[in-house]
Amino acid sequence: MRYHLVAIVLHWVIALGILALIVLGLAMTHLGLAPMAKFQMYQLHKSIGITVLLAVLLRILWRLTHRPPPLPAMLPLEKAAAEGTHGLLYVLMLVIPLSGWTLVSVSPFNLPTVLYGAVPWPHLPVFPDLADKPAVEAVVKFIHGKLAWLLTAVIALHAAAALRHHFMLRDGILDRMLPGRTAKEPRS
Amino acid sequence: MKPLALLAVLSLLAPPALASDWTVDVPKSRLGFSGVQNGAPFQGSFGKWSAEIAFDPAHPAAGHAKVTIDLASATTGDTQRDSALPQAEWFDVKGFPQATFEATGFVAKGGDAYEAPGTLTIRGIGKAVVLPFTLAVSDDKASAKGHLSLVRTGFGVGQGVWATGEWVALEVGVDVDLVATKSGS
Repeated sequence: MRYHLVAIVLHWVIALGILALIVLGLAMTHLGLAPMAKFQMYQLHKSIGITVLLAVLLRILWRLTHRPPPLPAMLPLEKAAAEGTHGLLYVLMLVIPLSGWTLVSVSPFNLPTVLYGAVPWPHLPVFPDLADKPAVEAVVKFIHGKLAWLLTAVIALHAAAALRHHFMLRDGILDRMLPGRTAKEPRS
Repeated sequence: MKPLALLAVLSLLAPPALASDWTVDVPKSRLGFSGVQNGAPFQGSFGKWSAEIAFDPAHPAAGHAKVTIDLASATTGDTQRDSALPQAEWFDVKGFPQATFEATGFVAKGGDAYEAPGTLTIRGIGKAVVLPFTLAVSDDKASAKGHLSLVRTGFGVGQGVWATGEWVALEVGVDVDLVATKSGS
């Protein structure tokens, strides 16, 4: 059994989005770019970040209302590792964009967010009116950055596990999440 | 003094509505501004403003002008910038909905060149400025064009992290392009 097409599309939209966010996030904070390039990267990072947040919310909604295909036979420890990694992925995929949104909302720049230059997106409540915005911003920025590194590590683990199942165990687990391949069984 | 009597005296003191009063054709005129953000120049304009102008080319020094600008009407063609402008960091339209320019007399500089010395007030901060402009009058129509360079932080436009020129240049321009008709003619 493979995942439903909706789950597959959401998975890969989120995957590509997160990859782009990591690259942009590193580039805009570390490359010392010219103001315009840096500014535009921040705006794109915000746009993709909110897109990923919305896709993750849909993914969670879908997951809660649709049973994923059962896991193949594996050791209890492997099953626990898989489920733990997935759980951690979901938590980070919620907390990181929310911390980013908080960061934008509490920033002393008070820069409005306009997704992809077209869709106005509000600040979170309360944060724009805090008395000591720079101090709160510094804390949230630290959390956002560290959690992004943690997510990068968990994604690497997730991808390594998928590749191990595909190439070493050959149990077809990766095929369940790949689009465009002929399914051996009808889609659920 | 009774209010009515006071009004009568004041109306005697006030200059009579001479043919030197001008009605500005706002839709045909433009009140614009320009700046540089992240190294890229941008142009904007105010959609809502009004002007009262008394100007007689024969007696420029006796003239007077007052321009009132609704700062919430500023647009630059960029949604993000336009949503930032009314905020407390920039125009703070909640605290200061309007900017004003009040000229107390004009100075002829020869030919079609004039200057309007006056007070520009933005965010409650009034500063003496001189607006140079050129004037073309034909019959009862007049057009005036002028440009003013300002340092935005002199008026508190760009607070906190925006008070340096790192992201948005401190120097901004104001462009005046007025078309007016002589009143009562």
